[in-house]
Amino acid sequence: MSREPRRAAPEEPAWREALRLMMPLSLGLIPWSIATGLAMRAYGLSEGEAAAMNLFVYAATAQLGTLPLIVAGAPIAIVWLTAAVLNLRFVIYSAAISPAFHQQSWARRALGSYWLVDALFIVLGPRLNAEPDPERRWRLFFAAGLWCWGLWQLFGLIGIFGAEWLPRDWPLTFMGTIALLVLLVPLVKEAAMRVTALTSATVAILAYDLPLKSGVVIAVLAGLAAGGAWTSWQARRQGA
Amino acid sequence: MADGHGAWGWGYLPIFLLLFWATWLTRGAFLLFGEKVRLPQSVQTWLRYAPAAALGALVAPDLFLAGGAVTFKPELVAAVVVMVTAAFWRNPWAPFALGMLTLVALQNAFGG
Repeated sequence: MSREPRRAAPEEPAWREALRLMMPLSLGLIPWSIATGLAMRAYGLSEGEAAAMNLFVYAATAQLGTLPLIVAGAPIAIVWLTAAVLNLRFVIYSAAISPAFHQQSWARRALGSYWLVDALFIVLGPRLNAEPDPERRWRLFFAAGLWCWGLWQLFGLIGIFGAEWLPRDWPLTFMGTIALLVLLVPLVKEAAMRVTALTSATVAILAYDLPLKSGVVIAVLAGLAAGGAWTSWQARRQGA
Repeated sequence: MADGHGAWGWGYLPIFLLLFWATWLTRGAFLLFGEKVRLPQSVQTWLRYAPAAALGALVAPDLFLAGGAVTFKPELVAAVVVMVTAAFWRNPWAPFALGMLTLVALQNAFGG
């Protein structure tokens, strides 16, 4: 290269850039993590169990989605499948962000796989793939990952222990439903997603009494089939 | 509730340890097991629909069913409030506050 592009200012430290980028969206994690903490306690988890779920599962959607199944005594296979389906979007994130982890060690990839939450992928994904220096890529990811994780654990604990101070007769399990509904809102702006969600909701109600909570799995498959059928029907209509 | 599950119990811990793998393996699918593979467009579409399918299935019984029968519930009204709030108001606290307020008010008004 003949000329280095001149920099207006000395380079911003990676951790500061990561926090600056993450700040607006990551603050949305605060009500979410408090709500999850409250909901876990309302479903009957002990303080220790709730903290452990935050630590080990570290995925709000999977946590809130499986709680009703866990306390209803659903078989572990159904609980696990439900969590995995709710997490399938992470497979897309993983594929999209994997170039940023090119030439990184196994330990860094393992930690990255624990920390790859929605907010981090949405904000930092494009930035990481544009950064040529692998070491700076890792520092950006590390700072953002630690920040999201710390926020989640801290405010989760506030929800878990704060549940004691709220009135006993408040239906706090509904906090979990609210959190899931908030996630659904941006998805159903797309027609195919509306078809998917409405179909799975209808089948879930019709199949609610099936043994072993298997209705959830059937409803998800029905929703996916309906969404897929809708998409190919639309594609054919536009092609004609 | 699981047997032997007290206020300070750890009865659910094994479940959470199993669920750890459900998150770590999906997030790590490409970070851990190779970055060379490209996802075909059709697979990406299915993966994108999965959360909508699962969320619909998980939320619906809480909003429509009482004792296994379809019932008009205050939860449904509160859910509409939550979704409208989340769609038109960027404040992250608002859906939680207004949704809970609606549900508590309706339950008190109609002796839920």
